[in-house]
Amino acid sequence: MTNETAVVKKKKNKSHIQRRLIPSYIFLIFWSFISVFPFYWMISAATNKSLDVAQGKLIIGTYLAQNMKALLAAQPLARAMGNSFLYSTVQTLLCLFVCSLAGFGFEIYHDKGKDILFSILLLAMMIPGVATMIPLFKMASKFHMLNTVWGFILPSISTPFMIMMFRQNSRNFPRDILEAARLDGLNEFQIFYRMYIPCMKATYAAAAVITFMNAWNAYLWPKVVMTDNRAETMPMLIANLGGGYTVDYGMLMLGVLFCSVPTMIIFFVLQRQFAEGITGAVK
Amino acid sequence: MKKQILSAVLVTAMAASLGACGSSSSSSSTAASGSTVTTTESTSSGAAKADVANEDEHTLSVEAWDANFNIPALEAAAADYKKNVDPDFNLNIIQESQSSDIEDQITLAASSGDYSQLPDIVLFQDHYFHKYVTDYPDAWSDAINSSSIDWSDFGQEKLSYSQYNDEHWGVPVDNGTCIAAYRTDLLQEAGYTIDDLKGCSWDKFDEIGKAVYAKTGKYLLCMDGDGNDLPYIMLQAEGVSQFKDGKANFVDNDTMVQVINMIVKLQKDNVLYLANDWSDYTNQAIQGDMVAGVINGNWIIPTIEQVTANSGKWEITTLPTLKGGDGYASNGGSSLYITSNCKKTDLAVDFLSKTFGAGSTETYDAALKNGGVITCSTKAGKSDVYQQGVAYFNNQPIYAQIVEMGTHVKVVEQSDYHYDARTQVAAAIQNIINGADTKSALQDAQDQVDFTMGG
Amino acid sequence: MSHTSHPKSSRLVRKQNAAGWGFLMPATILIFIMSFYPMVQAFIMSLKTGSSANMKWAQPVLFNYMRMMKDKLFIRSVGNTFLYLIIQVPIMLVLAILLAQILNNRNLKLKGFFRTCVFLPCATSLVSYALIFKSLFATQGLINSVLMKLHIISSNINWLGQTGTARFVLIIALIWRWTGYNMVFYLAGLQNIDYSVYEAAQIDGASPWKTFWHITVPLLRPVIVMTFVMSINGTLQLFDESVNLTKGGPANTTITMSHYIYNNSFGQGTANFGYASAMSFVVFIMVAILAAINMKVGDTRD
Repeated sequence: MTNETAVVKKKKNKSHIQRRLIPSYIFLIFWSFISVFPFYWMISAATNKSLDVAQGKLIIGTYLAQNMKALLAAQPLARAMGNSFLYSTVQTLLCLFVCSLAGFGFEIYHDKGKDILFSILLLAMMIPGVATMIPLFKMASKFHMLNTVWGFILPSISTPFMIMMFRQNSRNFPRDILEAARLDGLNEFQIFYRMYIPCMKATYAAAAVITFMNAWNAYLWPKVVMTDNRAETMPMLIANLGGGYTVDYGMLMLGVLFCSVPTMIIFFVLQRQFAEGITGAVK
Repeated sequence: MKKQILSAVLVTAMAASLGACGSSSSSSSTAASGSTVTTTESTSSGAAKADVANEDEHTLSVEAWDANFNIPALEAAAADYKKNVDPDFNLNIIQESQSSDIEDQITLAASSGDYSQLPDIVLFQDHYFHKYVTDYPDAWSDAINSSSIDWSDFGQEKLSYSQYNDEHWGVPVDNGTCIAAYRTDLLQEAGYTIDDLKGCSWDKFDEIGKAVYAKTGKYLLCMDGDGNDLPYIMLQAEGVSQFKDGKANFVDNDTMVQVINMIVKLQKDNVLYLANDWSDYTNQAIQGDMVAGVINGNWIIPTIEQVTANSGKWEITTLPTLKGGDGYASNGGSSLYITSNCKKTDLAVDFLSKTFGAGSTETYDAALKNGGVITCSTKAGKSDVYQQGVAYFNNQPIYAQIVEMGTHVKVVEQSDYHYDARTQVAAAIQNIINGADTKSALQDAQDQVDFTMGG
Repeated sequence: MSHTSHPKSSRLVRKQNAAGWGFLMPATILIFIMSFYPMVQAFIMSLKTGSSANMKWAQPVLFNYMRMMKDKLFIRSVGNTFLYLIIQVPIMLVLAILLAQILNNRNLKLKGFFRTCVFLPCATSLVSYALIFKSLFATQGLINSVLMKLHIISSNINWLGQTGTARFVLIIALIWRWTGYNMVFYLAGLQNIDYSVYEAAQIDGASPWKTFWHITVPLLRPVIVMTFVMSINGTLQLFDESVNLTKGGPANTTITMSHYIYNNSFGQGTANFGYASAMSFVVFIMVAILAAINMKVGDTRD
């Protein structure tokens, strides 16, 4: 079908098409409401007193300042935000580098041996996190990596999922560029660095969104390996707010809000690239 | 535009991580936010958590949970010791979200054979200590046994948890003595007073509860149905244990069967509200004003007090028992233990024995005021602060009352599998309420505990 | 794979090949050290018993595996996990395809807005969303008061206090959190399908249902297989939701396998690493088998 016929058709049936889409709109509005509502609830809870929250008060309240004051007094919010930013950023950058390098290697220099290795690596995806926690902790303590950024990130720098994503996306990397670059005398790493990375921006963005979210939201492993208060992350801080004999719900939800905002911002900013990157991955 | 945003983000991220990497090589993870650390540490040191090896000789590290409860108590003790003994003293408090964080840490340290990450002192749940000292003897120090603490100042029941092999391993902090707290206004509406409930029988309790529910729509009792403290508390008030000769004793334990039947009856009569978890219990049932009574360890008091509208309407008394008569029990509570990683055991022993161990009024009064932590030291319980009436509880001197009640709690057989038994009993109760037969539900529970013990 | 027609000296090829291996080494080494080596250690541990500070070879050596067969709670946790898998994964994936299909329509307005809304739940941390759902479904919480106002229920439901409803809330929460995530993959897959195929179908008068079934699903098959594998993997390792939302309760009736394994290694004072490792090894094998079946089914239909 050509563009012209599409345009003609569109004009003819414009109102008809929109009418046919009404069920779609209704469903989308319904699902969007379900998706967004808990966020509204979180925000309204952050502005209300603990008692009101417990009884399901829905309207935005006037208690935000008090909750904020209580939160700052109870927990080192800035420190936990700083830690979470540090760990998540370092993990994202390293993960992107290591996994894209591997994805590039697996696809561009594809052969039988690498295929076998790739399927072996995929097996790692099926290893339950709880199983490896104890041996990993032993390793981390042996190499003095407890409470360090390395202890936090090392187990999640190289993940089969990310390698797979880069590998799939690499199929779109034009072969002629590769050959042209080789003729120009670039070595293989220079090709990766100068040609591949700029070409794969969307994939990097998608991978960055996913990795950053995973790192930011990680709870179980950080709790095991970051035993010092000074190394505390945001999810740990929220858990601290929720622990104890009495819980201040307004303050807790404000903490949850603080914990959710950064990942949301990252997603908003990189949304388009994210969608593009995933599109390349499922080709 | 989009591209610019992307590159801006990447550049910022890059810069942040470069800064981070640069600093992490010299002073590790603390560098990113080091300025907010309140306790003093030498910044040049590595990343170690407690960093016991690098502390100066006046510093101790202690790990504890609950910023509103235990931590103010530790701060009080630190201030006390600093003022009266060592002006250079410094207590580095490491906060955890819950008691299990510390248990996990001991487990991890012992399993990896690396104790160097442990702090000098840990706050540890009383019921778990025996299990942990049996499994991981290398994690603990018994230095406190040779201290000058007058142990007779503390209740026998409390000390039974921190004693092992006839030695003392820990110093009590808080007091787990159970209270029965009731709303006098609601009782009155139903035609009763708190004296009717003092040491009454559970049958009588049921009768009053039904009247209260009919008149006011509030439950006379509530309990976290999942963690289930109630069966344990009721059993202890009878002086009976869930264990016999080191094995679970459910099915053939007549008192246990009676207690469980009573709980099921109370629930069916709308006298008891079983909350589905801890936050439901505290936030919905207690603070949501669904109840006319609460029975639990006295640490539940701050939760009750959050509903300021009900100030002056609550009072406390002893627990009911099956046959009637004052019931006393204890639930929860923790003690401070010195770890094997402590290099300054003399300082740790001195600190503990001159503050919590000596029944120091300065420590315990501040702990009570700032954290609501009630002492189990008889001596500290005699202070003026303890004798004062509490406005929220109709000016009853509840703190002195609780310390006194604590001395009557009976010692019952304990087990390393204390909480396993509790969890299984709780599960049995849920199953019975949902229609299972008492006998078979208890048999299942007992089998499951036996199974766990057999691993 | 496209191959170049350039004649190349074997030395150059070898050099390139070496570079290729070099590129995937860092990732490979990390996975071997951080996943496979610990898994081997966990397997060795699964043959031992005793306090984790002083573990001994089990007598008989498969003691922990035999114990599992007699463990009612473990069997229940397997049942629960599979229940979540069977109910939640299909619902979620169908919803996700449906949403993707709708969002892929060129005539739809406000596409970007809707897409963002649908994806938003994925941006929350597991701890946060468990807390949010817990408060929404509290006994005096919002869901109950809304249902009461609409006269759908006559008294508050104790959602998280009964096995059936607690499982229901858990499944709802999972669907909420992960549908948008899977939708992104489908939407991406659909965007790789030439849109003219749809327009042709429309002109031929094919119903939306037929279009969906005969065009979308076959073309999306690789993506569907991928999301299925990811979801099976994620559900069989389900942990955070069980811990944070229901704590496995009431009476351990909603507990998942990973949660039970965690309880055996850290929770509740029992550090039975040998037994926990044995169970996690069994989980690993289950996931691997299911994933293999799935990929086989996805493949052979071509």
